[in-house]
Amino acid sequence: MLVQFYNVSKVYPGGMKALNDVSLKIDRGEFIFLMGPSGAGKSTLIRLMIREEKPSRGQIFIASRSVVRMKRNEVPQLRRNIGIIFQDFKLLENKTVYENIGFAMRVVGASIQEMRQRVPEVIQMVGLKGREQSFPGQLSGGEQQRVGVARAIANRPVVLIADEPTGNLDMDTSNEIMELLYDINRKGTTVIMATHARELVKESHKRVITLESGHIVSDLSAGEMAL
Amino acid sequence: MIGKNVSCFSREAGLSLSRNRLLSIATTSTVAICIFILGAALLMTINAGNFMKQLESDLEIIVFVDTECDADDTSCLGEKIQEMDQVGSVYFVSKEDALKKLQQRFNEDDYNLAETVGGNPLPDSFEVKTNDPEQVKAVAQEIEKLAGVSKVNYGQGMIDHLLQVTKWVRIISIAIIVLLALGGVFLIATTIRLAIFARRKEIYLMKLIGATDWFVRWPFFIEGVILGSVGALIALLFLIIGYGSLLNNLETAIFFIPLIHEKTLLINIYVSLLLTGAALGVIGTAISVNRFLDV
Repeated sequence: MLVQFYNVSKVYPGGMKALNDVSLKIDRGEFIFLMGPSGAGKSTLIRLMIREEKPSRGQIFIASRSVVRMKRNEVPQLRRNIGIIFQDFKLLENKTVYENIGFAMRVVGASIQEMRQRVPEVIQMVGLKGREQSFPGQLSGGEQQRVGVARAIANRPVVLIADEPTGNLDMDTSNEIMELLYDINRKGTTVIMATHARELVKESHKRVITLESGHIVSDLSAGEMAL
Repeated sequence: MIGKNVSCFSREAGLSLSRNRLLSIATTSTVAICIFILGAALLMTINAGNFMKQLESDLEIIVFVDTECDADDTSCLGEKIQEMDQVGSVYFVSKEDALKKLQQRFNEDDYNLAETVGGNPLPDSFEVKTNDPEQVKAVAQEIEKLAGVSKVNYGQGMIDHLLQVTKWVRIISIAIIVLLALGGVFLIATTIRLAIFARRKEIYLMKLIGATDWFVRWPFFIEGVILGSVGALIALLFLIIGYGSLLNNLETAIFFIPLIHEKTLLINIYVSLLLTGAALGVIGTAISVNRFLDV
């Protein structure tokens, strides 16, 4: 098991209940959709996985390590195994495409040689060859999200987490990004994607976990979805 | 590995400094002003202290010997004074010497003192210095009790005043210096906080990607040290030029104030001011940097 949640609740200061007694298991190599309306707890679930927040109750394990009991100085190691893609891309505007991806590698202590080899590799993978020296402002939304994907996979994470990655994109561009994510998943990376977009989920034939007001209301496997 | 990181962090710090040029200039000038005032206050304190010390060491007790004492009584009295605790040096001034000294004050050709007064009216005397200037009063009172002493002069009242003044000058200058240093730290902390705030998105990303706290901190510390040191260097430039011209001009104009001009002492002061600038940068950064790392 790669990700395990045991009876996890999260109450924010002020009393807002974001998650209520959530238990779930995610296997290596799975592709999972997290569905649900805004405020259902999708983002909280993601924040708990990368230890941006600690749960109020319950236990979370990632690769058999307790994320809850983890010491502060062990958190960077956890996050190096998780790639994150954001709805608003979160690219650094004053850095080129190449530098944005290199930045993620430098942050975890990669050498210049490793960067020289890996950055062109992922740029090729997301189909941005020729745009290395462009700045984010010169790219379309879809292209910017491709940079976001490239940055997330540059450090070869075990899990890729995508929080509404197509939320700011039109349908065609969304499909392109989805193809990219399926491709990454086929190469062995576990992908967890939070989304509103029912159309994307319906045709995917992947496992779908639906959250509503902090509860899991359904957890349908790929097979069940097909029915 | 370490060398690579240092150059990498330094480049990052340099980039951030040039990107936030206006802010960097503001901080550097703030530090410069702070260190300049600090340095000026320090030089003033050290010079004042030096001046006070000299004043204190000039404090002496003059013991006038009874005119009825003969030479034996007088030398006996001198020995007794020398034997007292706290007494440092005893210097005998015979009445002939005293008259000569006095005569020197008037012009011998214009005015012959001995002739005018008829004989030598002055008594023998001792000039006594104590080990500790604070003991002058006590020692003087002891000496007054000895046989053969007609009068003791030690600037009664003056000494107490002088000692009080020197004590307060020291306390106040230390307080001013401490306050200025605190002000400098506060200003640097604010500037670094603004620099960090401008890059909070980047820091947030770095932390989510898996950067360690120190990886994020280093560039800001380097930035703080650069800001502090450059500010201090500018201040030192003005201080060295200013104090140098003070030494050249004032020393001849106001000869009784002994300005410090030992090279090693001055270099020590300047180096410690530079280190203070760098230290202010480090402390200011340390105050600001942590609150943005909690991601």
